[in-house]
Amino acid sequence: MIVELFVLAIIILFAGTIFPLIAASLDRRSVRTISLSCTIVASILLGSLSLMVLLSGESVFFSLYQSLPAFSLSFVIDRLASFFLLIIAVVSACVALYFTEYIEHIDGQSRRNLLCSCTSLFILAMVLVVASANTLSFFLFWELMAASSFFLVMYEYSQYDTRKAGIFYFIMTQLSSLFVLLGIIVLYVMTGSFSFLPLTTASAPLVTVAFLALFVGFSIKAGIIPFHKWLPYAHPASPSPISALMSGVMLKIAVYGLVRFLLDVFTPDLWWGVLILAAGTASAVLGIIYALKEHDVKGMLAYSSIENIGIIFTGIGLSVIFTASNLPLLATLSLLGALFHSLNHAMFKSLLFLTAGSVVSATHTRNIEYMGGLAPRMPVTSALFFVGAVSIAALPPLNGFASEFLIFISFFSSVSVVDPLFKVLLFFCLALFALTSALSAACFVKAFGSIFLALPRSPESAAAHEVPRAMLIGPGILAATCILLGVCALQIFAIVGLTVPLPDMLLVSLLLLGMAVLTYAMLYFIASREVRVSETWGCGTFSQQASAEYSGHGFSEPLDIIFSAIYRTRTINERTFFDQKNCIFKGGTGEIRLLKVFEEYLYRPIAQQSLSVAKVVSRFQNGCLDTYLLYVFVTVIALIIFLGWFA
Amino acid sequence: MIETAIVVAIIRILFVCIIITAAYIISTRNLLSVVSVYALQSLTLVCIALALYSLEGSIVLLAIAVVTFISKVIIIPYFIATIQEKIRIKRDIEFHYLNPTTSLLISMALMLVIYMALARIVQGTPARENLFFFGAVLGISLMLMGMMVTFSRKRAITKVLGFLSMENGVLLFGMFVTELPFIIEFLIIIDLIILVILTTILSVGIDSTLEDYHKRLHRFHLLEESEEVS
Repeated sequence: MIVELFVLAIIILFAGTIFPLIAASLDRRSVRTISLSCTIVASILLGSLSLMVLLSGESVFFSLYQSLPAFSLSFVIDRLASFFLLIIAVVSACVALYFTEYIEHIDGQSRRNLLCSCTSLFILAMVLVVASANTLSFFLFWELMAASSFFLVMYEYSQYDTRKAGIFYFIMTQLSSLFVLLGIIVLYVMTGSFSFLPLTTASAPLVTVAFLALFVGFSIKAGIIPFHKWLPYAHPASPSPISALMSGVMLKIAVYGLVRFLLDVFTPDLWWGVLILAAGTASAVLGIIYALKEHDVKGMLAYSSIENIGIIFTGIGLSVIFTASNLPLLATLSLLGALFHSLNHAMFKSLLFLTAGSVVSATHTRNIEYMGGLAPRMPVTSALFFVGAVSIAALPPLNGFASEFLIFISFFSSVSVVDPLFKVLLFFCLALFALTSALSAACFVKAFGSIFLALPRSPESAAAHEVPRAMLIGPGILAATCILLGVCALQIFAIVGLTVPLPDMLLVSLLLLGMAVLTYAMLYFIASREVRVSETWGCGTFSQQASAEYSGHGFSEPLDIIFSAIYRTRTINERTFFDQKNCIFKGGTGEIRLLKVFEEYLYRPIAQQSLSVAKVVSRFQNGCLDTYLLYVFVTVIALIIFLGWFA
Repeated sequence: MIETAIVVAIIRILFVCIIITAAYIISTRNLLSVVSVYALQSLTLVCIALALYSLEGSIVLLAIAVVTFISKVIIIPYFIATIQEKIRIKRDIEFHYLNPTTSLLISMALMLVIYMALARIVQGTPARENLFFFGAVLGISLMLMGMMVTFSRKRAITKVLGFLSMENGVLLFGMFVTELPFIIEFLIIIDLIILVILTTILSVGIDSTLEDYHKRLHRFHLLEESEEVS
């Protein structure tokens, strides 16, 4: 049953990939709708089959195609895989639903068919990565996922920014693939097989190499600092639903890879956990600090993705630490927290990206300083964004709170059991983690306030209106999921047979709801009925102006000052003169720019080093016969010397 | 029959001749004399083959001597002289990487290195005759010196001479150490002749107009503007 459903879903997704290619020259809405419908149907199938596996707890193994004796195209759907399949299914279905309408509002005529095709392929690749039963097919589909997502990022290739982002993304994603491949090859060298089997040799140096390679590979894909730089480029450059898919789902595939290898293959050492924890905490804190400073709405969401992936890695790191120090209960708890946060992040981040896409398509700008006043103009979108913002800010009773709470609990309960040195480390990470939560709340207060509240700060924003219904239903489902996952978290865990120390959020939310109703009723009966017409929050002035508003910059200014050590700025002065002696001033520009620390001190030096090495190497191949003869000559002499003295 | 010691002494003298000719090919700037020196080097090889024949009596050596004489002393120098006559280049003064003095110094060092390396290699084996050991060292050195000519000269015609000199080195090595089958030796020589003929065709051209002919000469570094006038 499950096998048939899975194969059917794969076939439908494949059809959704092929069909727009066949009709590539037809610029018809129906072509795209059919393709996206295929994605929706396949997602529903995948969702139901993964729910079946999750609830029953049985693993399914099957082989589709045996090409070589050592390699078969086989799949396994166990609880872990089905959990991630569920994430893919829910997000893909909502994104595809949203896409049916969104795609008609973007440029590109019949090129949009290819966009549909690539989206299907991308989802297909992700599904196959998660379901892969051996490391080789894992890598093959991983690479397919990387390639298809590159084409998706490059959709608006005529723009310079997009090309730059695309190349950046391509290089980073290939680096990631390279490291993953290295890890897989090292594992193959050790075990002689491509299957996900536990290693017998515990802590050989090769095992460490394999772990580090896989960790770096997955970290690049997940956007862990310092490998994060592609996210703030690629997300703003690609169409919003694609950003939603990439941030919501693709980053989780990297998380899946790490968890899969940690659970099934390795017996982790303690320091691995410390490494993962440190990387996660650093990403979480720095990610949200950068997000605060970002005024491109999609860039901000990208940085916030880095933060959330950091939280997930924190959970995984904790779990590894607890496993290594023989605390299985806590290990399970923190891993559950990490996985639950993966699910939740997929929901609210794709919700936020989709609603941000609606806002961007309504206002034609990504800069939140030019938005404002959208709440009355786009009421449903703003309500949906609000749900996402509350979730991501981890406010009860929504889902972000539930999963972060799980990780907090494992932090708290660990402090009493591990040895003193670790206590210090864990306290430190806990403090940073708490700071992250607070800052992310601040960040989304700023985002929601600047985008939706107050008065419009640009004519486009003033002329914005609500998006079509299909662009509301997709995010609507996601918002409903966010609420459901938060409010019924305890019940959901109970259904899948897990007991977690969560408070009963259903009760809490009922109480909250009751309180709200009571308050409203009280106010309704007590307040005076006198009608007074004036502008809200006018503070006595008669007419409000957008320029007098509290801007996004203004909101984050106090935090900027607190974290000014992290936001390094660079002052640039350029002056031109009429004469050669620089006496008569002609004109000039002055700029205070945020220093891109990682880009300027890490990426660029590495890139320059590799470029100079490449230059030296390319000089060896200069097309001159004499040079090649010289190489032969030198080689022969080297051989003679080798024969005489070393052989 | 001539006495063995005398033959050995003659061969040693011929070795010295070969070194001198090789050094001359590396260092000279006069194109015309390079060809005659090449012919002389080949002739020395013929003499060595004959001397060896008188020592060992192998008929193959005689055959090698004959073939070498016909091809390398007569046919190939004749072709190259024909090319030179047509393209009117007298001097070769352009060098890549190494100038003649450096080349000479390097070739001296090379011979030393090869001598030491070969000495170490044959150390364990039953001691070979001194003469044959020297022949091997000289063969490899001559080959490498020819190679040096091929990459340090810019003119195609000198490159060809360097290549021919390399082949002489292989022949010398073969005569003293490995006993190449005669058929292979013969084939190599045919290859060489074809190479020279091809060079002739490429550098002079059989179907070209006058302008095209000059263009080709430029392309193969066979002609310079200043020399064109004279």
